[in-house]
Amino acid sequence: MEKLIEILEDINPDVDYATCETLIDDHHLNSLAIISLIAELEEEYDITIPAIEIVPDNFNSAERIMKMITRLQEE
Amino acid sequence: MLSTILWAGKGVSLTSFFSVMYFTMFLPACIVLFALTPKKAKKYFVIFVSYMFFWFISGLLLAYLILSTVSMYFFGLWLSKVKDKLKQESAGLEKEERKALKEKYNNKERGIVILSVVLHIGGLLVLKYAGFFSDNVNLLLNKFGIAGSIKAPQFMLPIGISFFSLQALSYILDVHYGKIKADRNIGRLALFICFFPQIVEGPICRYDQTANQLWEIKQITYENLTFGIQRLLYGMLKKIVVADRLNTFVDHIFSNYSSFHGGVIAFAAVAYTIQLYMDFSGSMDAVIGTAQIFGIQMPENFKHPFFSRTISEFWTRWHISLGTWFKDYIFYPITSAKKIKKLTSSARKKIGNHYGPLLAGSIALFAVWACNGLWHGAAWNFIFFGMYHFVLILIGSLINPLVRKTNSKLKINPDAKWYRAVQIFRTCVLVVIGELFFRAYGLKNGLHMFKRMVTNFSFLLIDETTMKTIGVDAKDFIIVGMVVIIVLCVSILSEKGVSVRRKLADTNIVVRWIVLYALILCIVVFGAYGYGYVVVDPLYAQY
Repeated sequence: MEKLIEILEDINPDVDYATCETLIDDHHLNSLAIISLIAELEEEYDITIPAIEIVPDNFNSAERIMKMITRLQEE
Repeated sequence: MLSTILWAGKGVSLTSFFSVMYFTMFLPACIVLFALTPKKAKKYFVIFVSYMFFWFISGLLLAYLILSTVSMYFFGLWLSKVKDKLKQESAGLEKEERKALKEKYNNKERGIVILSVVLHIGGLLVLKYAGFFSDNVNLLLNKFGIAGSIKAPQFMLPIGISFFSLQALSYILDVHYGKIKADRNIGRLALFICFFPQIVEGPICRYDQTANQLWEIKQITYENLTFGIQRLLYGMLKKIVVADRLNTFVDHIFSNYSSFHGGVIAFAAVAYTIQLYMDFSGSMDAVIGTAQIFGIQMPENFKHPFFSRTISEFWTRWHISLGTWFKDYIFYPITSAKKIKKLTSSARKKIGNHYGPLLAGSIALFAVWACNGLWHGAAWNFIFFGMYHFVLILIGSLINPLVRKTNSKLKINPDAKWYRAVQIFRTCVLVVIGELFFRAYGLKNGLHMFKRMVTNFSFLLIDETTMKTIGVDAKDFIIVGMVVIIVLCVSILSEKGVSVRRKLADTNIVVRWIVLYALILCIVVFGAYGYGYVVVDPLYAQY
């Protein structure tokens, strides 16, 4: 989780990722930030994130992003 | 008149949600007959009245809607068959073999999807853009000294084709992505795509948002009826009192801009932006309100766009269903393609974590904004409108790290009220400039208007006599201003999480009815009817 928060802070440092649950809904991460995040996540966690996974539900909080990563690693 | 409607379906009287025919006859009849229809037959009744509505407006062109429904039904089943076959054949296989088989079947699915895109979007391209492309090819040939004489046939466009084509395609793509299962019930698919409140201007709903709700449509309740009517009236207030009242002034200035100085053109551009917002968001209020009467919850298409701090944010608040459609079916599929991912990866290593992904993102962004511009119409000013926003969003992303650094150095809090106000004002100015080109009669005129706005800024050449010639006076602007203030207050409260409708529902019944009557009275008294006003069809219905 720490590594993930580090990645997120690198993309947009103005958010408290430990508590924020509206990263997409409140526009903290826009489409271009998502691409940056996906590139970073794929490299860091050795996963492939297909287009279908790019939905607000999977990216609205650090916890949800972590859940998606774990799920994709298991697949 | 009845025979004209029934046989020709020319939609003489039933042109939109705001026509007298719709409000006094069609909608009340639908509500009463729906309430009287037995529970099990209600969904079929809604399909019937939706087809009637479409027929009233577009006549025999109803065939397009039916063909779209049949096409999405068969493509969905075809994809489902391929998926089932893959499941059967991959049972018991090793991981590597399963992967290879999946790849093979994925290619098959891609072929089916491409065919469906060619049919749905290809059809739209031929109907909507054939004239535009042939004109431009002829122009190009003439430039090279070849007499270009390609003549594209003129097609009649069925109402809402740009909306229902995207909705149909989203269903097929969602089945392909495995987000939803193919529907074996063609009735449910028909209702999902034809539901009459949304057919003219959207919102472009997804299958998992409305299909089941519609198929399980229930009896009208008191709360849904009153809430729905309130939303409908609020939409009418925006459309009939503000948008239609501004139309005369806006149309005159845009048609005769060379007679006016830059200040007047700038004022007209602001007025048009307000007109467009009130027209489209008012229509959406009417759509969502009508759907709510029948107990259907439609997705919101606007979220107070003029409170956006950036252009990028603006497009997540304006015409949301179109923006998310482009994002889900164009932007992310492009950025997720293997080659683009490779590009992102290598660019990140060379130019860093911000600019690397931006390179790949800009390719997808370009595709999105080219499609967005073209979706609005077959003209160069729409393409320019798309490219204008592409460049603004790209610049915003490029300078973002620099802005952050500068703010940090100057100790500026980006959440400070004054900073947000400056950002919001800047976004509004950029939006108004974009809308100037969007509304202008062609790109050339748009550029002339912009030049005049910048180089010749004054309010001279507009006085009371000119206003009289245009057909508007101070009273018009006072009425518009008052309603704009009301809408602004409601928006500010909503932005703060306060639901005005819920608050109203919690008040005394006398207060509730006073507000409701005041709303109706306001529409009747201040609505743009009568001499000097023309009935304006919803602006987005033409796209």
